Amino acid sequence: MQRFLSVSLFLSLSAPLVAAQGPAFQTPGTPVFPMKPAESGDSGQADRFASVFNPAFSFLVDTVADYVDFDQNSDDSGFNAEMRTLEMAAQAWMDPDAWAYFVGATEGEEVAIEEAAIHYTGLGNSTIRAGRFFIDFGKQMQIHTHELRTLERPLVLRAYLGEEVKGDGVQWDHWMPVGDEAAVRWSLGVFASLLPEESEFPTAEVVTEVAERKDAGDMNFTARLTGFTDVGESGMFQLGASARAIPDYDVLDEVNTLGESGLDSTVFGVDVTYGWSGETGEERLTLGAEALISTGDNGFSIDDPDTTPGTGDETLTVLDDSVFGYYAFADYAWSRYQSAGAQFSSAELPDAGNSDVSEIELYYTRWLSEFHRLRFVVASTEDDTSDDALRFAVQYTGIVGAHGHGINW
Amino acid sequence: MKNFTRRAALAVLSCVTFLPLAAARPPERLKVLATIPDLADLVREVGGERVEVDTITRGKENLHAVMARPSHLVAMSRADLFVEVGLSLEIAFVPGLLEGARNEKIRPGAPGFVNVSEGWTAIDVPLELSRKAGDVHPQGNPHLNLDPRAGRHMAQRIFEGLVRVDPAGKDVFQANLEAYLGELATAEARWQEMSADWRGRKVVVYHQEFGYLAAHTGLEILGSLEVKPGIPPTPNHVAGLIQKMKAEGCTTILTASWSRNKDVERLAEATGARVVELPNQCGGSTECTTWIGMMDLVHRRIDEALTAPRKVP
Repeated sequence: MQRFLSVSLFLSLSAPLVAAQGPAFQTPGTPVFPMKPAESGDSGQADRFASVFNPAFSFLVDTVADYVDFDQNSDDSGFNAEMRTLEMAAQAWMDPDAWAYFVGATEGEEVAIEEAAIHYTGLGNSTIRAGRFFIDFGKQMQIHTHELRTLERPLVLRAYLGEEVKGDGVQWDHWMPVGDEAAVRWSLGVFASLLPEESEFPTAEVVTEVAERKDAGDMNFTARLTGFTDVGESGMFQLGASARAIPDYDVLDEVNTLGESGLDSTVFGVDVTYGWSGETGEERLTLGAEALISTGDNGFSIDDPDTTPGTGDETLTVLDDSVFGYYAFADYAWSRYQSAGAQFSSAELPDAGNSDVSEIELYYTRWLSEFHRLRFVVASTEDDTSDDALRFAVQYTGIVGAHGHGINW
Repeated sequence: MKNFTRRAALAVLSCVTFLPLAAARPPERLKVLATIPDLADLVREVGGERVEVDTITRGKENLHAVMARPSHLVAMSRADLFVEVGLSLEIAFVPGLLEGARNEKIRPGAPGFVNVSEGWTAIDVPLELSRKAGDVHPQGNPHLNLDPRAGRHMAQRIFEGLVRVDPAGKDVFQANLEAYLGELATAEARWQEMSADWRGRKVVVYHQEFGYLAAHTGLEILGSLEVKPGIPPTPNHVAGLIQKMKAEGCTTILTASWSRNKDVERLAEATGARVVELPNQCGGSTECTTWIGMMDLVHRRIDEALTAPRKVP
């Protein structure tokens, strides 16, 4: 009996220590998050292996099969199929005022961190966002390609800003009500670099870069001001203006070892969107457009009199003409599951020949359920610098888990 | 100095004159935002003159596909009390609006947040959470506003919320609640009488909105046009449903205004069944601007369909 009591006493005294396992795994210098034994059971996080506070995980597969018919270089025409994106994401609240998320996505055979950021929401109507994230420019640059209404991002955005523009930095945004039916929001972002990783419409074979260390004024910036309001019982109208500035960057022609520094580039955009929703919410019409002007040192030209690279007679010319482009779209959904639309985009390219490029995309989207969709696309591209093309594509996208990138406005 | 004395006298006189007027001004009314008109109606009944109510939906929407608008965000940012059905019914628009509105008073867990499904025993709670079962709601069927017994439950939750944010109005809210429960008792007796013969009668639905109503009245739901919740009908599924309806002698299809009613019409043509379009929220029709009015209409339409002679397909 005495032995039984001794064992019982030992077990009862050691129980709180077992419950509060944290200290046993800490080493000097590591952060300490004390957990009182009395709280450990209540919190659910009774030991470091508990999974009750795991974030919401998701993944997405975006697959495209297409046939491209080039106008002149018919040898390049043909079929292809690719898993365009495998995206993995996780998100969770860290405390009542802050949440964090990451999005990793395949780039070819590698996995890259597309976004990883913390949102601090404890400042009234302001949000501070820090980490790596897509820039707040217009309505379509903030979102990932697979989330677009169309197969591809509008051509003018690809030409002037890049296919996807993510930056490491900080953004402050704030919104305020105006009357009972309107709101205004603005944002300011400061980033290390917003140069696109590669240009879809290169004017010359050069490499551009922003210095890793720079003056505060040479950081890269974004700004956006937007207002949106109800229109009647079933409409919504939004007007926005955006800017992206790269005050100082360098260009290098690696083949001819030519370079220029102290270059700058700024893109301004104005966007307008109208949305209408039928009385059941299933039928929807969305019309939108955005016009952009790209200014500063936007293009390059390499003059090579003997046409043999690296012989020393080459010169690098920086082109600084402002160029203009725009896109416009119409999208009609007659149910939650079916929609069709058209998008046209045109852009002047900042090359020596003042070339133009334009693209029209027609699509029909069929959601098989809320979590996977099929899209059928016909797109035609006219390109002064390259070859015109006609593309037929089928896109199949599936979402698993709690997928979401936040509100886009 | 003479000027100062004159100004001071004027200030005192102004205070004496206008203070009683200011005191007599009616107190600011509580701003309440409800997700659907059913809840807004109950807030008006219980809150009376002390509340000013607005809603996000108007009455005909598919609640799984509501588009958030700027006015919703503004209303949510200014609300003293927010009332939702819960059970993830409003998941398409409430979480985003709550996050954007940044209104501490109505955050989940705050006194101004009311989830009327709290304490409600849900049906159709999935045994396994998988999208293989369609767009399921983890906590069960969220359409409790279509249960004839839910009026009492929702009114009670709203009363508790109002008292939390406006304790001074408790007596008024209590009196209003009791008066409303009296009205409900009369209405419930009426519905009981109308649905007395429904037990065992078979119906087909488009979406599983009317599960609570069926469970309470004894209606037997033979099947739904949706393959699974949120999954639209497929030809194979509809063909199977036609056979089942014919074999079981089912003559009634219950649907809502948002449903894909062309599919419903095709099913009705193939089986000779009657289509009964029911409101899934009050406010969607001039015939039902209150929750009691909506339940009256629901009972009347079903009763008429069940007692009408069968159509020839």
